[in-house]
Amino acid sequence: MTYTSFLVSEFLLLWRRKQDVINALLFFVIVVTLFPLGVSSSAEFLAPAAGGIIWCAAVLAIMMAVEGMFKEDFRDGSLEQWVVSGLSLPILVLLKVVAQWLVVIVPLLAMMPILSEMLYLSDASFWVLIMTFLLGTPSLFLIGVIGAALTVSLRQGAMLVMLLILPFYLPVIIFSTLAIQAADAGLPYSGQLALLLAMSLLSLILSPFMAAIAIKASAG
Amino acid sequence: MRILGENGAGKSSLLKVIVGVISPLEGTIVYSGEDVTLDRAPLLQDAIYIGHSVGVKSLLTVAENIRRYCPTVSPEALSAVLKKLDLLDHMNAFASTLSAGQLRRVALARLWLTDKTLWLLDEPFAALDSTAIALLEERIRLHVSSGGLVVLTTHQALRSLPCRDVALMS
Amino acid sequence: MNWMWFHKLGSPKWFFFRTKAWALPLFSLGCVGLIVGLIWGLAFAPADYQQGNSFRIIYMHVPVAILAQSCYFALGVAGFVFLVWQMKIAPIFIKAMAPVGAIMALIALVSGAIWGKPTWGTWWVWDARLTSVLVLFFLYMGIIALQKALDDPVLANKAVAVISVVGLINLPIIKYSVVLLETLHQGPTFTLTKKPEMPPEMWLPLLVCMIGMCFFVAGLVIWRMQSEILQREHRTSWVREEVMKNGL
Repeated sequence: MTYTSFLVSEFLLLWRRKQDVINALLFFVIVVTLFPLGVSSSAEFLAPAAGGIIWCAAVLAIMMAVEGMFKEDFRDGSLEQWVVSGLSLPILVLLKVVAQWLVVIVPLLAMMPILSEMLYLSDASFWVLIMTFLLGTPSLFLIGVIGAALTVSLRQGAMLVMLLILPFYLPVIIFSTLAIQAADAGLPYSGQLALLLAMSLLSLILSPFMAAIAIKASAG
Repeated sequence: MRILGENGAGKSSLLKVIVGVISPLEGTIVYSGEDVTLDRAPLLQDAIYIGHSVGVKSLLTVAENIRRYCPTVSPEALSAVLKKLDLLDHMNAFASTLSAGQLRRVALARLWLTDKTLWLLDEPFAALDSTAIALLEERIRLHVSSGGLVVLTTHQALRSLPCRDVALMS
Repeated sequence: MNWMWFHKLGSPKWFFFRTKAWALPLFSLGCVGLIVGLIWGLAFAPADYQQGNSFRIIYMHVPVAILAQSCYFALGVAGFVFLVWQMKIAPIFIKAMAPVGAIMALIALVSGAIWGKPTWGTWWVWDARLTSVLVLFFLYMGIIALQKALDDPVLANKAVAVISVVGLINLPIIKYSVVLLETLHQGPTFTLTKKPEMPPEMWLPLLVCMIGMCFFVAGLVIWRMQSEILQREHRTSWVREEVMKNGL
């Protein structure tokens, strides 16, 4: 196994399992529509809340997409093969996360114009929302992957991953919604974006190693 | 080298400890004169490990699965091996459609395509029919006669292979 | 410098015999400190000129709130120690500490809510420190849930160590992020660098409570660790001897 052949087969697998991604995206849209129907459909409520609603829904959808990431690899013995391949386990984890991120985030971004229109998000904050997504979601995937790696040996691990990982997602949600609110109010928002980027970089350094430790412990 | 022992004696665990999937509770692993207990890299460079779960992806085809582990294989070599293992008709079938014996043959196909010297095989004969067993024994004998080392666990009597036995006591 | 003691710390057996005599005295000392501090604070300390008697819950609230946070810090350090030096005692500490920390965070939340009602007129506000203690409680519960879910002890040890370290790194970020949301809570009661603003007859009992709470928790955790050690090492000969000699 080489890094390239690993990445190629990961993309192939994601393509063959595209229904999973579609499900996560549908889930995302449905959660978003709960708010206008469940709370209030007036523009006065939705416009200021839009950024927060979209982010909360996205966090849940990403959680769903990441939670079972290693389950199949664990069952069919691929995790063992990663460990014995002689390749660096953190890099394999990182490659898998990158593949998964690309496959989920691109359609998610593509749906953003429709959703922000449905929630009356102002044009100015729309681009900030996109930027917070590009800068913030990598850390969501990278942190989530630790939870997925820790619970890979459990049959029913989804709820546990949520409980473990959602608290760590709070800063990302807070920084993102603050950036969008600041943009709404016409204030500078580069500080919050920088914080998001910093979080993503920090998790880029730490999380592959943590996930690798967890995977190695689970594979045995 | 054959590792013998009752069910639960720790045959598979021993192989897993050697390749580093499990960390040993005590003791050291020495490979070609070097202590590799903390860093298995020198050992893994020369080793192939095929475990009880074979690491074949059900949503990849047979050919894609083999390419995943041996990316440099030429199409001719690939089809030659598949023909030998009676998998040529299934070359482009998803692994999810195969039987247990066929899955194991897909995993074992790597043995014909590799130049690694140390093979660690956990129950390689499980689920194989007699032709496949004969093929695998043949391949192992060839590997050993060319200077390779094979460590395997099995319950079956090896018909045509001379081997050194290591028995595990529980 | 001789590092022998540091390596010995890793051995559950060494830890067990070393701390065997400590648990009860620490625990009793903590109980006495807590009782003295609480009676002093509740009955004899002067009432606050703004908040009246309702401020007296401070004698419970502040010690548990401070300890809930510092104990999580200790969990993270223990997780790090386990990942780097593979010390067997570290996951035992995490397992013994996590439920105690969770309960302290819960008491801090409940006592804070009870204090908040007369002072702010509401049980709950989304203030930075309240929210961060709530998140702290979730983090503790996550560790406990993970520990309970994983049957394989080797995997469970690694897993709780990983999640504790991740939590230790993330906790400051979480705290900073909730501080960015507005804050309503009064400033910290104790800081190490400044003299407290309260009169001594108010903060002295608080200090006694604080120290009593530390001893109480230390004794409790050592106790829990010892029973965990006995459970984990129940096959070894030294445990058998110990139980034969002294009973359970």
